[in-house]
Amino acid sequence: MSVSFIPGPAPDLPPKPVDRFKWFFSLGVIGLVVWSALSIDLKWSRLLEAPGDLWTQLRLMFSQMELSEVPDLVAAMWESISIAWMGTLIAVLFAVPLSFLAAENLVGRPVAWVTRQILNILRAVPDVILALAFIPLFGLTPMAGVMAIGVGSIGTLGKLFYEIIEGVQRGPIEAADAVGATRAQRLRWGVIPQVTPELASFSLYRFEVNIRASAVMGLVGAGGIGSDLAQSLRFKDYGSAGLGLIIVVLGTIMVDTVSGAVRHRIVAGSSRQEEDEEDESLGLPPGLAGDVLPL
Amino acid sequence: MTVPTVGIQAPNLPPKPRPSLFAIGGTLAAIAMTIVTARSVGFSFGGIVTNLGRKNSVIEGLLSPDWGQIWSRRSRAPFIETFQLAVLGTATGSLLSLPLALWSTRFGNPNPFTRGILRGFNNVIRSIPDLLWALLFVSAVGIGALPGLLALFFFSLAVTTKLTSDTLDGIDMGPIEAANATGANLSQMLRTAVVPQILPAYSSFVLYNFEINLRASAVLGLVGAGGIGNRIEFFRGRGEWEELWGLVFMFFLVVFVVERISVTLRRRLI
Repeated sequence: MSVSFIPGPAPDLPPKPVDRFKWFFSLGVIGLVVWSALSIDLKWSRLLEAPGDLWTQLRLMFSQMELSEVPDLVAAMWESISIAWMGTLIAVLFAVPLSFLAAENLVGRPVAWVTRQILNILRAVPDVILALAFIPLFGLTPMAGVMAIGVGSIGTLGKLFYEIIEGVQRGPIEAADAVGATRAQRLRWGVIPQVTPELASFSLYRFEVNIRASAVMGLVGAGGIGSDLAQSLRFKDYGSAGLGLIIVVLGTIMVDTVSGAVRHRIVAGSSRQEEDEEDESLGLPPGLAGDVLPL
Repeated sequence: MTVPTVGIQAPNLPPKPRPSLFAIGGTLAAIAMTIVTARSVGFSFGGIVTNLGRKNSVIEGLLSPDWGQIWSRRSRAPFIETFQLAVLGTATGSLLSLPLALWSTRFGNPNPFTRGILRGFNNVIRSIPDLLWALLFVSAVGIGALPGLLALFFFSLAVTTKLTSDTLDGIDMGPIEAANATGANLSQMLRTAVVPQILPAYSSFVLYNFEINLRASAVLGLVGAGGIGNRIEFFRGRGEWEELWGLVFMFFLVVFVVERISVTLRRRLI
């Protein structure tokens, strides 16, 4: 007797679940895109010429570079980095006390709420708009950029800081209370040692973000390499603009690399256990990375 | 009988650990950096105080903004343009970012050479800020909405690719093995084993990217790349700070509403 294979009917698969929300969401997005594409004031035929124009531009930029301009541009990039550093420092100085006032585990709810609203408002203003506002006050100097970055980063840093502070372990705070610590002592011994590494790490991260911001602020006149770039492009000195662009990219990547390594070291602490794992994350504590991405 | 009192001696405390070399070095480096950079930007507290304290139209304008700008007819068109730029920039940029992120991973692109090139490309576009893209494209294709769209396209591409790549690093490799075991080719494997894993996170990144693009597209106009920034620049040129701040406040309002909607959707998606 031979066994023959009889193809049976397909098994009763459960019906594929239908997610109405996803359908509506997708349709809504497609509708929005189509509406925008049709109604925007833009000659789409120009888009076909764009790659050609871009190619010409890139060729001009990267074929007429004069290496004698490198030192000046590097100095301008250094000014951008300086603006970012000083601006971040000012922001940290304000963000730390504000974040203590915004942490619900340290102060009462009303105080925390008010402080958070201040941080939210500060967070909403784009850096470049702040730069526009500070230029009439400080003139076309790097200090306008420093102030813009300083004020513009308080909101973001403050928010990150108070989230970190709210995540501290209760143990040390209770221990400090148990031995009769005052408010200040409790803060000094119960909270600050726990949060310092993460605050330092986030401040460095913000510094990296601010380098991009300070490179950009120069475009509206707030000092740094952006000013040089804007000038070169305005006066069609393409070679200089190309060189400047290369220096911005290289400088940014360099600072990112150094600062990223330091951040990894800070977060990992002195224990070397995790060094085997190849870690390509941002070197930030888990869970917060999504909120801080600058770009 | 009296109880003998016992003098309490300080317990033998372990010695306080000395701060690590890294901490000392780091602090010193930070101080040195501060001194050098402060000199480089000409920092002075006195200067800040005098400059901020002086009577000026910027802060006066901030204190009495022109709320009429919120309903102004002439501001409406640039606002709509800003919104359209953000939609189109996000849609095109994030659409291309999915394959770009997939091809930059080890399982999505087994060829180390092309993978290296793609990763290098990602790093380079990520280090160019939004306004710089805009300036480059204004210089290349002229002023208007087109350079703004191109700038937002590259900017979105950089952001969503980075975020998606980070998610791809942490996915479950099991489904990939399963797909490979059943003989799936590369695109089938990616389609059935990888994309479903990252799709919720990816859609959330796209929405997040839309929020940043909306903010970014407001400043693009400062260099001539369309949107509300053109009008901000117009008021700045004339020194009309009341109108400028009114416009900025209206912009906050729009961003706030869009962000609320977007945050709700993002929560629903994950």
